[in-house]
Amino acid sequence: MTDRRADTGGHAVGEQSVPATHHGGEELRRALGLRTVVSTSTGLAFAAVEYLAAAGLVVYVAGDSAWIAIGVAGLLALLAWGFFGELNAMFPTAAAIRLYMKRSMNDRSALTITFTYMTTIVLVIAADAFIVGTALTHAFSEPSWVAALWILGLLGAAVASNLRGVRIAGGLQDVATYLVLAATLVVGVAALAKSHHALRFPLSPLHGHSPASFIEAVALGVFLFSAFEWVTTSAEEVRHPAHIHRGMLIAIGALFVVTSLVATSMSHVLDHQQLKSAYPQLLLGRAAFGQAGLWLMAVVTAMTALNTFNGGFITASRFVYGTAREGSLPRQLAALNDRAVPWVPVVGLGALSLAVALVVALTHSWQVLVAVGAGLEAMIYAVAALCTLRLRRRAPEHPRPFRVRGIAVLGVAGLVIFSVLALVASLSVDGSFNPAPLIIIAVCAAISASYVLFVLPKVQAAEARRRAATGRRRPPRAVPVDPGTGDVPPAGA
Amino acid sequence: MASAEEIADAYADWRARSNGNERLRKMVRGWNRIVHLHTTDTDESFTLSVLDQELSALTRGGVGQPDLIVTGSSEDFCDMFWGDLNPSEKYMSGEIKLAGSGEDVMRLDAISMVAFLDQ
Repeated sequence: MTDRRADTGGHAVGEQSVPATHHGGEELRRALGLRTVVSTSTGLAFAAVEYLAAAGLVVYVAGDSAWIAIGVAGLLALLAWGFFGELNAMFPTAAAIRLYMKRSMNDRSALTITFTYMTTIVLVIAADAFIVGTALTHAFSEPSWVAALWILGLLGAAVASNLRGVRIAGGLQDVATYLVLAATLVVGVAALAKSHHALRFPLSPLHGHSPASFIEAVALGVFLFSAFEWVTTSAEEVRHPAHIHRGMLIAIGALFVVTSLVATSMSHVLDHQQLKSAYPQLLLGRAAFGQAGLWLMAVVTAMTALNTFNGGFITASRFVYGTAREGSLPRQLAALNDRAVPWVPVVGLGALSLAVALVVALTHSWQVLVAVGAGLEAMIYAVAALCTLRLRRRAPEHPRPFRVRGIAVLGVAGLVIFSVLALVASLSVDGSFNPAPLIIIAVCAAISASYVLFVLPKVQAAEARRRAATGRRRPPRAVPVDPGTGDVPPAGA
Repeated sequence: MASAEEIADAYADWRARSNGNERLRKMVRGWNRIVHLHTTDTDESFTLSVLDQELSALTRGGVGQPDLIVTGSSEDFCDMFWGDLNPSEKYMSGEIKLAGSGEDVMRLDAISMVAFLDQ
């Protein structure tokens, strides 16, 4: 993979000459630097559900060698990084997913896949609300039903702050993300050091396990990196376009280090029952620093939710708003409150996440949620591979400031591997065959497809009728305009 | 292609509509921004700003450091300011390009939507 962005050179705009950047030669007053891109990419991926996914992954491989499965997943994440890097460089916009899917397949398929993919955001928000609620309940030694109140309170606060247009500033997000990563690293290392035992099988992932289990571990490992690509929606606000793919690359490296350490230390110091609990990270904290460590990890878990709720709510609600404005969803979903926030998607997302989180709390089925997320992420990586491949054929002349080398091989490999992983991840829960995740994904896809096939045409027809009834406001031109210059010829000319 | 004068006329209508909309004035409270518009076909730049809940007059050329840059064809700008074109549609199809924070993009789109649809 290679960075082939050419220097855009200086560009005079109006009366002043301004520094060269990607925005047609203009420098934005507020733009995101590489540090914030890295923290956004890492922070979106490092949700509270990471701890549960890491603990769940340990079940599939021998003892301390979980890092190998995560390493393989990291290599696959690099493949996905290449696809997203190229697609983002071609379409550096928040609407990129719509653009590259629309141009590489038909609009109906693109919309169906995108709507299904958006389910991941609901799942991650619900999972984080559940995990943070459960962790706080455990930390305060409250009865388990109190978790439902925490979940309600957390999601209520997230919805209220979103409706008021509150956003976490880039600086605060940087601090929160880097603190979470640093604290998790310290706790992981301390837990390992305090165990006073050497690692048991650090290099033998298959010891007592089958190769199929290892593949399942890799599929779950891919989930540990998932959502790193959501930062591509910030492409319009970065100081330099290369920050996006560089930031994603650094984020993948950081995620590998932290999640490997967490998984290895969890497998080393926690027993099977503790690994299967809804708060293994708190138990890891206690193993490292006693009760203080447990509280530290409770605070860290709550901090991860800051990024998830902030990024998740904004990404999903703005996507729904944009799609409704475009005319592909009912226009009521684009209604704004007095703070210019699309309130219907925000409230809807909160309600949906609450319902999912409560179901998970009641049924203790968080590993199903993790498997659904892993399946959906692997699916979207396969779609990214397909889009990259197809666009190479359909739009060979489109500028690609960043491109994947050997796409003919890597693209097909990515498509096959991620498709297999999507299937594997969605057919197994907690080490046993379980089709529930696949059924959930299939139901989400069926709902999306039904909407696109049967409801969307009616929505579009209603919008067309509304526009026809409004009529054009622009007055007709009195004098023809010179097609060469766009100027109106002077009187008498 | 639309001339600069046509864009200015269209913008004047949009501005009057927006500044006269109480709900819109509420929406842009505390949102003071400089927006540069750039036409791809006629290679012209314009500047508008939002200050103290009011849209400024349109200035030719890129003035000041922008918070938001909108790039599109002169016809699209003209149609957008007259309310005949849904900018989101053009944005989603890649014909209108934006640079700036997601929040600023939302506000600008909100102005065009509320001014014409009052949604």
